[in-house]
Amino acid sequence: MRLAITLAVLLLLVFPVTSGFTQTPTGVLRIRVRVKADDSAPLRGLARKRFYLMPGTLDQNRALIQSIDRQPIITRDCYYRKLGTSQALIDWLKTGDCESVYCRDVELESVTGPKAVPEFATAFAASQKEFGSDETALKWVTTNLDPNVRDGFYRDRQNVISTLLKQSAAPVLSVMTDRNGTAYFTDLGPGTFVLTNVVPTELGPTAVYWNCEVQVKQGDLATEKPYLVSNRKDRLVKCVGVEKPLPACE
Amino acid sequence: MNLILLIAVISVAQIDYSKFSHATKKHQAECKTCHVVPTKQWTTVSKFPDIVDYPNHAACVSCHRPQFFKGARPPICSVCHTKTGPRDEARYAFRNPSARLQFTIEFPHDKHQDVIARLFRPRERVELAHAPPQQQNYNNCTICHGPFVISSDMHGAMANSMKAVPTNHGSCFNCHWKSQQPVATNCNGCHKLAAPYEHAELPARISMKFAHEGGGDKKNHLLECTACHINITKSTTLRGLKPDVPITACTECHNKDGLRQDVSKELASIDKNRVFVCVYCHDSKVGGLDPPASHYLIAERPPLKRRDIK
Repeated sequence: MRLAITLAVLLLLVFPVTSGFTQTPTGVLRIRVRVKADDSAPLRGLARKRFYLMPGTLDQNRALIQSIDRQPIITRDCYYRKLGTSQALIDWLKTGDCESVYCRDVELESVTGPKAVPEFATAFAASQKEFGSDETALKWVTTNLDPNVRDGFYRDRQNVISTLLKQSAAPVLSVMTDRNGTAYFTDLGPGTFVLTNVVPTELGPTAVYWNCEVQVKQGDLATEKPYLVSNRKDRLVKCVGVEKPLPACE
Repeated sequence: MNLILLIAVISVAQIDYSKFSHATKKHQAECKTCHVVPTKQWTTVSKFPDIVDYPNHAACVSCHRPQFFKGARPPICSVCHTKTGPRDEARYAFRNPSARLQFTIEFPHDKHQDVIARLFRPRERVELAHAPPQQQNYNNCTICHGPFVISSDMHGAMANSMKAVPTNHGSCFNCHWKSQQPVATNCNGCHKLAAPYEHAELPARISMKFAHEGGGDKKNHLLECTACHINITKSTTLRGLKPDVPITACTECHNKDGLRQDVSKELASIDKNRVFVCVYCHDSKVGGLDPPASHYLIAERPPLKRRDIK
């Protein structure tokens, strides 16, 4: 017992506990995603979209990328139409490009009056009964929504993403773009990676896939490597997305 | 056998019943064994259904009957009651603010960022992360992180320098009350048992002089949160995400040729006087330490230790 304690103390002295930060130099990949919904539209930052960075070359990740490509495209509109939700709810989600009802406040006009979304109105009535206050009922309205209406589409996409990413041999990093379409992958070692959005991004009448190879070289470490991503070709664009037309709902 | 009995007797005698610990094995039954969700009279003290009081006596008496009826002032009563004795019902606020915390909170920022995030709103409701309250009606970090009121003696921190964190279930239960896991009755979904620790009055902060509402007349600091907190949407797992800000987020303005040289100037001051305290961003506690290598990198200089400066 005494020997074990002595050994443990010695180990702590030799390998001091650190705060978890690695001392080896790492790099930062700054992605900027700029898109056009159609040729006449101006370029804009693609906000609030998640991108993934997988270690390895495109060739090494070929099987996974093929699986991504083979995935059927299910649009938000089609998902909710199939679910039988009201057009008002589909429009409400579309207004904010929302994947779930959590992405913006449900306001009073959405639960009562001529602009009310039927699903929200029903949930609001149940919440009024349950919580006894209109203020709480409105703020907590999502607690009385059907789970599929609430965030079924988001969960569906998350299931697809996690199933696909399980095929990656190494841990996959992910970040979300800010309102300008910028995001940062930090703590990267040197190597080759594949930047992907895994599930297609709806952009006007098309769905866009990005699967591009990125190299972080020794010289990129301790710096911020800019990387421009778009659905339009340009001399500065390093990763051009592949666009597919959105399918009609079944 | 006698020795075992003796040890058992001594152990029992040493238990301090005035201290309640969730770490005690027998206190690790399902939370609802003791805590009722919501508390029956929640409407009297809360705007929303919540756990607002201590468990009923029954939760304790089932095992602790001997301690309940021990003497005129049983120590066990002082876990919840301000005065110990059978005739006084007054209790500490729930949870007792002076007690050490026994749970940490697990909160996957990336997941929440995913579901609350949305695209542009009209310009008048643009997503300024630290905008005044009347503009904070979009779903983003400000749902949970409002302004943090600080007192003047907090290590030289500036007013409006920090953001608050949720201190009750108000910002959780509005989605997680039922059906959306972890729900209100699944305490363990968010609360993880930990070694007891003191509640920190201030969030851990290296640059105490930074003001979220600041940035000069143009309020240049009023940006989207992720413009500086670049790691907060990053995920490899749901744990361990920190709101850390790399120095490059600051030096884009504060150490740029032709603009300002705030970092380089202070590093130069250390060259002249190794006990110089960096005060532009830091309080005296942090400003007296060796600057990290990242600061020297920004100033395009090799890192130095104060002790090596003559």
